[in-house]
Amino acid sequence: MKSRLVILWNFLSLSFLFGEPLSLPVALAPEYRLNGSSIGNALGQTKDDILRSIVGLYRNERLIAHGVIVDPRGFLLTKASSSVGARIIKSCQNESFPIRIRKRDEVTDLALWEIVSSSASSWNSATWEEESNVTDLGSWAFSASASLEGIGLGVISATSRPIGREGGVMGVLLKETNSSSHGIEVLEVLPQAAGDRAGLKISDRIIRVDGRPVKNTGQINRVLQNKDPGDLLTVVVNRKDNEVVLRITLGHQAVAFDLFNRNLIMSGPVSKRKDNFSLILQHDLPVTKEMMGGGLFNLQGHCLGINIARVDRVTNYTLPSNVVLPVLNKWLDLLP
Amino acid sequence: MGLSAMLFAYMVVAQVIVLPLFSQDGENNFSAWEKELPQSIGELKEIQKQMQSVLQRVRNTVVSVEAEDGAGSGVLISSDGLILTAAHVIGERGRKMQIVFPDGQKLEALSLGGSEISDAGILKIIEPGEWEYAPMALANNSKVGDWCFALGHPSGFDADRGLVLRVGRIIEKKEETLQTDCRLLGGDSGGPLFSVYGEVIGIHSRISQSPEDNFHTTVESFISNWEYFLNEELHTFGDMQKGGFLGVSCKQATDGLHILAVVPNSPAMNANLQPGDVLKRVDGMPLDTREKLMILISSKPPGSLVAIDYLREENEISVQITLGERLVEE
Repeated sequence: MKSRLVILWNFLSLSFLFGEPLSLPVALAPEYRLNGSSIGNALGQTKDDILRSIVGLYRNERLIAHGVIVDPRGFLLTKASSSVGARIIKSCQNESFPIRIRKRDEVTDLALWEIVSSSASSWNSATWEEESNVTDLGSWAFSASASLEGIGLGVISATSRPIGREGGVMGVLLKETNSSSHGIEVLEVLPQAAGDRAGLKISDRIIRVDGRPVKNTGQINRVLQNKDPGDLLTVVVNRKDNEVVLRITLGHQAVAFDLFNRNLIMSGPVSKRKDNFSLILQHDLPVTKEMMGGGLFNLQGHCLGINIARVDRVTNYTLPSNVVLPVLNKWLDLLP
Repeated sequence: MGLSAMLFAYMVVAQVIVLPLFSQDGENNFSAWEKELPQSIGELKEIQKQMQSVLQRVRNTVVSVEAEDGAGSGVLISSDGLILTAAHVIGERGRKMQIVFPDGQKLEALSLGGSEISDAGILKIIEPGEWEYAPMALANNSKVGDWCFALGHPSGFDADRGLVLRVGRIIEKKEETLQTDCRLLGGDSGGPLFSVYGEVIGIHSRISQSPEDNFHTTVESFISNWEYFLNEELHTFGDMQKGGFLGVSCKQATDGLHILAVVPNSPAMNANLQPGDVLKRVDGMPLDTREKLMILISSKPPGSLVAIDYLREENEISVQITLGERLVEE
């Protein structure tokens, strides 16, 4: 009996010390928070103008990307790798139209789509902010919410810069080896990653990569760094004293290894392609990977660029107007 | 100059910066950031302008804190190199850690104390010198609804990216923690939360599963326990279990700690402490935070005698209490 009381009181005293059982502190009501329902009202008409220039791209009834209307004839710009297979767009007035792809650029990961509409309606295209890469740290920035009913608010959060190549990955763990004459041992093969799909097995010893003999892990890494996801890698392994040739279609870092990174587990789904951009703006807006391809806007309601990658929950990349406009203008000039 | 004198000096500096900003505003002429909500693009611009000008003043005071097993952040708050960070970034007293300035300069620092209760920790740059530093806010100078901004190195130092800024508002303030909707990630831990006046009001602590609901240590925790954090071992939850036991639960208020409940058969009950009593001092030391009471009591071994001054109705009463043992599950 005594020990039961002891436990009870110990629990209570701890909870009193660390918790707030008897006094409820006043929390800021949700609508007043940075991304609450009321803050966006300060933008007034500018908010509606921003929303009218953004559309959602859908594949099988599912939102896969946002897009920015860039021409009154009904052309929109989006993230190429996110928009693959899109069939229709929905506007902020919830009207649906079929779309077809017109242009695609691997370097910037941008794509131009055309809205197919029988009515000769004029589309509300975004106004561009030129040279947006010089936007100051701490400048407010806005994007449409997923449903295009409101806006998300944040700031330009870090230095504008180029983002290097992550390289393609096999999705395997190799034994750290400095010099081996009988191959580099595969310690782990991540299920469903590139190596697994190509038939690479634990205990295989990699002896040649793209025709070149390899004696240490550094040599393999150098080959991988110069390849992109989707590129083919020919690997010869020694498996139980037999040479086996495997052709591996390299995967994305995000798909293979990010699963093991605590920061990325907390971040939720991120963009598959988040590397190899000539210049980006970084911001902290609450956006999902299905909102990439949409626009980032400043207080004037001008478009700073195209949201191109969700990297983690505090990091998003936007291609600034000085990267987007040369590609876009060339495309628009080529259209009839 | 003694350490407490230095702390006093930072507070004076902070006051000199803050007071003129307040005094310019009449009752009906609030700055945009003092309103419940910004009402126009002009007011959003006003908030942006204030934050950007302050950001320029404080950005060189934020460092990355590196150890073999991970990285966090910190902020310089004195010219001789004292750095506020999180207890879980330093782990223990006397640990050598590397700090990295925004320009990439690297220096060695030594961990001092702190407390796991609030997750407050302190480091000091080993080599003598003078550094740019940010002012600490005065106690009780931030409140729910205030605009604020977080700086840090999420996922560790990145020379090309530099410091990462996040803007938000204080969404809750409790005894030992402050919550904001500034978005944080691993590596931010120990980094500073600034007011719109460029004063440190918190230190990033726990990262919430929900991105818009993160936790910060309060600057009040550092102010209240300053000498203890500088000079003693890092106070751990283990110390709380092993140390002396009083047997009260309290709510922190400006006039002291209001007793909410007294544990039956505890030293507090045997000394006739009652709910509603306001604890003022332990061994002559004023109780401005609940954490200070927890530290003062649990840093003494069970069986120690402490002098407690409290207020019951209008009367100040002093008692001597022999601390007990915190009862653990059998």
